[in-house]
Amino acid sequence: MSDNFDLATHYPWLPSSLIIYYNNLPEDPKEFISEIFSSTISEEISERTFEIFKAAFNNLENVLYYKLDKLNIYMYLLIKILLIVLNDKILTNRVANLYSKINYYDLLEENDYNIYHIFNEELNLNVQYLPEGEVYGNKFYENNQQKLITNFKIFFIDYLNLVANLRDEYRKLINNPLSNGFVFLKKKTLIRLLQEYVRNKIKEVEIKKIIEKDELINIKGFKELLEKISTAWKNRKDEIEYYEFDGTEDASVYPPCIQEIRSKAKEGQNLIHTERLLILWFLLALNVPIEDTIKFFSTMPDFDQEKTTYQVNFAKRKGYKVYLCETLKSLDLCRANKDKEKICTEGYYSKTQEKQRKIRSPLQYVHVRQHRKRRESKNKNKTNSNTNKQTNK
Amino acid sequence: MSDINYLKRLFQDYYRNKTNQIPLIDSLNQREFGFIPWDDIIIMNRHISFVNYEAFKNYLSKFSPRHIYSSGALYNNPDHSDMNKKGHLGCDFLIDIDVDHFYTPCKEDHDLWYCKNCGKNGMGMAPNKCPKCGKSQFKSLSWICEKCLSLAKNEIFKLIEDFLVPDFKINKEELKIVFSGHRGYHLKIEDEKMRNLSSAERREIVDYLTGENISYEILGLSDLNSNLYFLEDNYGWTKKIINKIKKIIHDYPNDVLRKILSEYGLNGEIIEYILNDKNNFLKNLWKIKGLGEKTWVNFLDNITKELGAKIDVPVSIDIHRLIRYPGSLHGSTGFRVQELSLSELETFKPLNENNQEIDPIVFAEKKDIKIKIEILENKVPSIKIKGKTYGPYNKGKIEIIPLHIAIFLLCKGVAKTRSFIDD
Repeated sequence: MSDNFDLATHYPWLPSSLIIYYNNLPEDPKEFISEIFSSTISEEISERTFEIFKAAFNNLENVLYYKLDKLNIYMYLLIKILLIVLNDKILTNRVANLYSKINYYDLLEENDYNIYHIFNEELNLNVQYLPEGEVYGNKFYENNQQKLITNFKIFFIDYLNLVANLRDEYRKLINNPLSNGFVFLKKKTLIRLLQEYVRNKIKEVEIKKIIEKDELINIKGFKELLEKISTAWKNRKDEIEYYEFDGTEDASVYPPCIQEIRSKAKEGQNLIHTERLLILWFLLALNVPIEDTIKFFSTMPDFDQEKTTYQVNFAKRKGYKVYLCETLKSLDLCRANKDKEKICTEGYYSKTQEKQRKIRSPLQYVHVRQHRKRRESKNKNKTNSNTNKQTNK
Repeated sequence: MSDINYLKRLFQDYYRNKTNQIPLIDSLNQREFGFIPWDDIIIMNRHISFVNYEAFKNYLSKFSPRHIYSSGALYNNPDHSDMNKKGHLGCDFLIDIDVDHFYTPCKEDHDLWYCKNCGKNGMGMAPNKCPKCGKSQFKSLSWICEKCLSLAKNEIFKLIEDFLVPDFKINKEELKIVFSGHRGYHLKIEDEKMRNLSSAERREIVDYLTGENISYEILGLSDLNSNLYFLEDNYGWTKKIINKIKKIIHDYPNDVLRKILSEYGLNGEIIEYILNDKNNFLKNLWKIKGLGEKTWVNFLDNITKELGAKIDVPVSIDIHRLIRYPGSLHGSTGFRVQELSLSELETFKPLNENNQEIDPIVFAEKKDIKIKIEILENKVPSIKIKGKTYGPYNKGKIEIIPLHIAIFLLCKGVAKTRSFIDD
């Protein structure tokens, strides 16, 4: 069992960390940054912070040199200040995703008491520990009955607070075992909720004094670190724009419902279950390679390489069909009216059938757009060759 | 005197003489009030607040509005017209059960609809499209009877006994139940912690109560290879669904069961298999010839629909919703919005209540007053109040009826007064 002091060092986002460490720190971010970069830890903290950012640029799930020491406390604050100064939504989400994942893996190693302590004593959430474990049901697995047993249950209101932004069908209250006011969860799932808490904490602007960017960038050490991160991010961002996989080389032919999911994924936001299914089946239907499809999901906060690989392969084998537009409307995923997209709302003219036809599925939209693109480029080539001919004359 | 003025005077008389029947609600001074006056154009006056209970009662006796509402929400500035500046402090969890929102068989006997385009009319709930002209604009007259109000009451019990108490562990003492004065019941949960729930969090609770957005896949119920009896003790919806299936299968004789299962989307061959293997079929779903995942999920959807509470969803999700004030009169019936304890609810009969303390038909007290009315609508269904049936009526019918029936028909807008008769 660790004591409170240990937990506060390991997890700087805990309220007790605030009491133990932060109260001794200057309230003004400028003073805090000056102190850090004029001290002996300056170099190490810069290096370690940069490692975090570098890993976040690449959507990695962990960093090699992450240490649970006192420096970790200062680093947490420094990361938050850097994110505010950098003011980049995609970067903030990537760092928040990575940082929360690092914490997730560390929390998985904690004993039951510490997890109970974090929820109840630190976060003031009503989680109950069941020392003997409670069976909350059974599972049918490989022709056998398997007992579902856990040592944890969480008060439904606290559960709802934690899952509010997860938008995941698995987290929906109706799909979970609820009894006597408590949701029964496995330790791993409970920690996953904590991960989401940490992710939001990183994104939360809670520093008391307003950060004046101009004042901070004059501080030696901080300025260098900021520039190093900015340059590296700019280069990486250019790579993302051009090389990072987003479904096809020409995403401009995607319908608005898919574009919406792409931009959410790029920002590192959570996707709801039906959004995940739509994009997965869509990419597979376009014959996008398995590896690239897996890569698409790597920006998401709950990305798990192993799980995603299994799910993508499974979907490929099953050959699921992409949702039709009608279904997308009923799932509230259709963006036709919101984005006032002409092809979606008005359809296209079919020469063979000599009438206006409706768009019935996102794939049909792609085909129409591709057809139009080909026609446009053909016309362009024709015009160019005519101009050339005329010039040659 | 116009009918409107007459009704207003009757309401005023009630608010002046029965103030003891207007209960004080929790944190009255932090709530927003809304009133619909007795004007031809129905506009609600919102953003009104009262410093105390006395001020509220004085307002009622002075203005006696047609409809009276108060917010489920508490505010720092309840009378601020800008919702963003009201200073939202939280909202009670509100549940509205209104028979207007779900099908009841008795609607075929007493609800009417008219197509605004071609005049075609029919009984029951209005169709999506007119069967004659295909247009979808209707005028409808929804009525009430003991049967549909009893179904609404069952939904309240279902909510409390099947969901709020066993699953959410809501303290029965925290439940405020009222008969809405018309087509159903309101239930309010005054719990400090629930007051802080956001709309999205309320939506999660609503989904749980109604069965919407359930995933049979996640719950393991759509896997035909699974032995579903293994899952019958699983907490939450899984248990509810399996128990319901078992109950249906064992509670009904085969001929009734055939009809029910067929209505739930199963074909004859599948039904016969189930009837021959009542105790085991959930173990062997994959063995049932012709039963695919789609048919099974459709069957589960019907079970879920049956199990879910039929609540008016937007009411529970909205954190600024106004709801009828208990003890006030419903301007579309003249009935009192009657507060009830859980034990009172058990025997409560809104249209024929013997206990005067909780009788919503407040004007039935004035037994001596009779009114001659003339029917304005083409058809007016019959209404059974206090054990006696009045109607059905056709347009132009002139009838002498007791005051409380006259008030009901006048409030409904289907009749006008001809003269007042005192015995």
